[in-house]
Amino acid sequence: MNRRRFLRQTALGLGAGVLAPGLWARGLAQGGAANVPANLFQEIGRRGGTLTLPLGSTPQSWNYFAVIDNFAYTVLNNVFDRLMQLDQVSFELVGVLAESWSISRDARTTTVKLRSGIKWSDGTPFTADDVLFTFTEVASNTNLRANQAATLTVAGVPLRFEKVDDLTFRVISSKPYGAVLQALTFSPILPRHKLAQFKPREDPGGFSRVWATNTDPKEIVGTGPFILQSYVPDQKVTLVRNPNSWRRDPQGNQLPYFDKLEYLIIRDPNVQIAQFRAGNLDQVPITGAQFPELKRLEVGGAKIRVLSGSTIYTSPPHWGFNFDVPNPELRELFRNLTFRKAMQFAVNRKRIIEDVYNGLAVLPGHGVAPGTFWYYDTRSYLGEFSLERAAGLLDSLGLRRGSDGQRRLPSGRVLEFAFTYASDSAPFAAIAAILQNDLRQIGVKLNLQGIQQGTLLATATGGNFESILMAYGDQPDPQLRKDIWQPGGQLNYWHRSVWPDRGSSEPKFDQMFPWEKNIWEIFRQAEQLGDQNERKRLYDRWQLLSAQNLPVIMIAKPTAVAAGHARLGNFFARDNRIIFTNFSMFEKA
Amino acid sequence: MDKRNNPLYLAWRRFLRSKPGVISGIVLLVLYLVAFLAGFLAPNNLTVQHPDAVYQPPQRVYFFRDGRPVRPYVYQLKRERDPVTFISTYREDRTRPTPIRFLIAQGEPYRFLGFKTNWHLFGVAESEGYFFPLGTDQFGRCLFSRILVGSQVSLTVGVIGVLISFAIGILLGGISGYFGGWVDTLIQRITEVLLSIPRLPILMALSTVIPASWPSTYVYLGIIAVLSFIGWAGLARVVRGQVLALREVDYVTAAMAQGASNLRIILRHIVPNLSSYLIVTATLALPGYIIGESALSFLGLGIKEPMASWGLLLKDAQNFQSLSLYPWLLTPGILIFISVLAYNFFGDALRDAADVRSRD
Amino acid sequence: MGVYLLRRVLVAIPTLWLISVLVFAVIQLQPGGFLENLLEDPRVSRETIENIRRQYLLDQPVWVQYLHWLGGIVRGDFGYSFLNSRPVSELIWERMGWTVFLAFLTILVTWVIAIPLGIYTALNRYGPSSTALNFVGYFGLATPDFLVALLLIYWVLSTGGTNVGGLFSPQYIDAPWSWAKFQDMLAHLWIPLIVIGLDGTATIMRQMRANLLDVLSQDYIRTARAKGLAERVVLWKHAVRNAINPLISLAGLQLPTLISSTIIASIVLSLPTIGPFLYDSLLNKDQYVVMALLMLSALLLMVGNLLADVLLAWVDPRIRYE
Repeated sequence: MNRRRFLRQTALGLGAGVLAPGLWARGLAQGGAANVPANLFQEIGRRGGTLTLPLGSTPQSWNYFAVIDNFAYTVLNNVFDRLMQLDQVSFELVGVLAESWSISRDARTTTVKLRSGIKWSDGTPFTADDVLFTFTEVASNTNLRANQAATLTVAGVPLRFEKVDDLTFRVISSKPYGAVLQALTFSPILPRHKLAQFKPREDPGGFSRVWATNTDPKEIVGTGPFILQSYVPDQKVTLVRNPNSWRRDPQGNQLPYFDKLEYLIIRDPNVQIAQFRAGNLDQVPITGAQFPELKRLEVGGAKIRVLSGSTIYTSPPHWGFNFDVPNPELRELFRNLTFRKAMQFAVNRKRIIEDVYNGLAVLPGHGVAPGTFWYYDTRSYLGEFSLERAAGLLDSLGLRRGSDGQRRLPSGRVLEFAFTYASDSAPFAAIAAILQNDLRQIGVKLNLQGIQQGTLLATATGGNFESILMAYGDQPDPQLRKDIWQPGGQLNYWHRSVWPDRGSSEPKFDQMFPWEKNIWEIFRQAEQLGDQNERKRLYDRWQLLSAQNLPVIMIAKPTAVAAGHARLGNFFARDNRIIFTNFSMFEKA
Repeated sequence: MDKRNNPLYLAWRRFLRSKPGVISGIVLLVLYLVAFLAGFLAPNNLTVQHPDAVYQPPQRVYFFRDGRPVRPYVYQLKRERDPVTFISTYREDRTRPTPIRFLIAQGEPYRFLGFKTNWHLFGVAESEGYFFPLGTDQFGRCLFSRILVGSQVSLTVGVIGVLISFAIGILLGGISGYFGGWVDTLIQRITEVLLSIPRLPILMALSTVIPASWPSTYVYLGIIAVLSFIGWAGLARVVRGQVLALREVDYVTAAMAQGASNLRIILRHIVPNLSSYLIVTATLALPGYIIGESALSFLGLGIKEPMASWGLLLKDAQNFQSLSLYPWLLTPGILIFISVLAYNFFGDALRDAADVRSRD
Repeated sequence: MGVYLLRRVLVAIPTLWLISVLVFAVIQLQPGGFLENLLEDPRVSRETIENIRRQYLLDQPVWVQYLHWLGGIVRGDFGYSFLNSRPVSELIWERMGWTVFLAFLTILVTWVIAIPLGIYTALNRYGPSSTALNFVGYFGLATPDFLVALLLIYWVLSTGGTNVGGLFSPQYIDAPWSWAKFQDMLAHLWIPLIVIGLDGTATIMRQMRANLLDVLSQDYIRTARAKGLAERVVLWKHAVRNAINPLISLAGLQLPTLISSTIIASIVLSLPTIGPFLYDSLLNKDQYVVMALLMLSALLLMVGNLLADVLLAWVDPRIRYE
């Protein structure tokens, strides 16, 4: 996306409200003005019907901050609202519960004005007290499992929240905090009048146990488009329209269009697709691997639509080397940039994108999703696939081939190392097989070790690997991923020897490579800057350093793919984005 | 002794009476022969990837040209990718007939009885194109060759595994049932503990413990060990139950009263009575190992890429895309099916044949 | 008999204790823990992890954790699920109904089909109908259950059917019981019954056939026939009754499969049973849930064994317990 346009928009967006008022010219009809982005609508929908979606596993709790569970979040995101959200088309922040916001000149105080007239589903008015309760007692409470204290802290000092009036509050930081708005988008706002009685600060354990999945659904009140109606363990979650929903479509009609929203719990992705094809599901998330089959059905006249588009959040796989592997020869090799460059030449990205992702992936960025504001074009550093050049670099390191064709380490041992990957993930397994095959041709033996996807992260952060195929999801702001990319961060698994000692917060700088120290410093500085242009300059430099020094070898950035039934209205693609929300979709007549 | 009274000869005659048994025996013989000669029979190397022939369907073999019989040949396939669906379609390139050559030496050498050789029964010259009799997988590897070489793993896992688990199971189950008392109690407790832990957690724990640098043969032996370690306990229990009952049968109690040695009683009176049961159980257990190996592949503990086993190959077919777009990937499943079926019918026929007292 | 039962129960206690040690060890053996998996989330800090570690006693030495857990079990408290923030026993109880229903239904269907077929194939050993029946039976043995599930779903789908997984159509899941809901369940139930039951049916059918052939060649059967008893009486009163005995031991072993046998098939078929729940807990290292389920499975096995032995003694007077 266009960077200059973003800057202009942000400058506007930060100061004044979110959207130009002209956009809502038509929205004055029945009961209230339009208040959701107009770009979600292809047409005005009609009320009624049931939207049925799949859920990959049983939700663990209805208490958002007590569990880290994407399935629970998928359901709860229909019940609770955030202050603001990324726009699906522009990837810019737009207000949800917040109507407008402004940032002070010194970039330390953010004032947020809330939308008026919003009520919780039980009729209680929504106010700034709810926001303050959510952030100060729950979201920043480090005793709750899913707390967000990490993003609500800058330079070691927690953000301070102050109420101005019933519909206005201020966020104050000790240093300028460039990612403050992004940090506010993470947390759904919870009802103070229902939850304050459980005293999250004094009794976090007790608070974590309320709103378990066997709670009476009437207790769980929200401001979102839907509210919970019932839950049948391992089978179905049913939500119904929130009678007090505040959202209005461009013509001022109350949203959502659907009367009911059902999540069927189906674990196997194949069966999700089967249920979708049988007409029992309206939508199904798919990957590039499943695209051809469904697209073929669509082309063949089936009543489905398969869309693809770019997105921030997909996880680009990367190849990491353990800089602290016990074997001293391998350790020296993995720390050697020439070796990692040789390995990068052996990564056939074109073939992986074509054959593994069926063309539904693009060349990766280095820590930032390509095409987004923070992205710095590092493609020229990715290099072309060339086994000759890879072999040449390995030769230059003195790793000669023996009579059996295998390269030898200086000690005379065969050059071989393990490659850990998730064998239950189709793309990962395919990438592993392609890499192994290509490396074999230049005399490098890769020993594949398949593990369960669920244990991948623990294996990486535990250091139990020689090299590994990993993936971290991208986020809208690099600050939110500093634990991954800042050396010494808890997810910076490839160089664990620079991790701080227990009880210390300083990483071991003396163990770092010079470029790692640079990256560390970049993240430290960028965190405490308010000026987005300055931050962008710093993060550009970080991406360049990563592309040049290859802490890990990025492989490809998958494109988002989705399939929906043809009867779904307002499920469409525009400007290379897939656009839909549960409140804007409707059932076509 | 007259040939007609020799019990083995009689058993053989009875075996021949069972048509499914004989056919199954022949099928198994062929399967094992093919596995033995896999390297020679496979036209292609099992690990070589052909990026230009991804998901290629099986090639048709032609025997006639212009109505006249000629040396068998195939057409090369041209890949076309649908720009909308990304589905690869292949079309025969009629301008390029490629003759199939017999007894050609090419490609990477393989080991056969300790010798290195690169002779193959058939194939097309590498310079002239490809020949994939059963099509290719996601990486353009020859499925036919992979199935042949994979059979070496799949067909032997069961035999070795059953031998190990039966040795343990019969021994412990037999001792437990025959002697009773504290020995029985102890062995029963051990089997109970083993049986009580569901397989999946054990397999998942083990799958993370086998080192990646292990060569394929070690992994293969490791898999057999894991499977038979889990497999013996159930058998021991049933053997015990049988022995427990047989111990009380009149002719056994009579033998005991006569002061016959334990060994003699076990060998002369108990084992013959168990044999038919054991044969059935063995033929039942064998396919269990073949399928067990495929479950291990499912968990990532099985044979590792780029080696092959039927279970690992079948894993590629376990989704709807493959079922509808690349159905030839199901062939390993058909082979698993055939071999398991053959084992079962063969075992049935053996059982009937070994059944000494049946005279009908 | 009473003494025998008492002794068995007493012996079960040390066995269960041994299993508890083993179960605990298996859990500890796996690399990584529940908490490490949390770190991927951009919001979780090290401090949070330490806090939770303390909440759940995970910072204590292993033996302290073990004793704490064991102490809880003795008091009937199986601990809390990390994932769900709810008592383990509650979560298991929620899923017990469908699990028991499906398991017993499968066992029932399996036996009702397999025993007569086993008898039939034993009596007509060389007939073409037996060969055909065997063929069908072996089909179940010859294909992994999850593949059968997938193939069945694919078949239903390509014939235009819509019942492709789960026990009900979406609209009936939370509806009150009615004739329509019952019919809907029957329309869904046959797939799980085939997938889960096929394997067991073939096994029992084969065992029954083999046992019956064994018994039929025994001397007492010949004696019975020689005495001039009707063939019907010989077959059903003597042969079949004796041939079923070994299968009773087998049935004892089937009880714990309630929990673990059909995990992958249940996941594929979206069945609301304990299997997928155990699988999730294993993947997420939700250790108290895993340990409770493993202990439960061990307990079921022992109960099954005991029942089988008692039943065996009851139907087979040759077996005596001192």
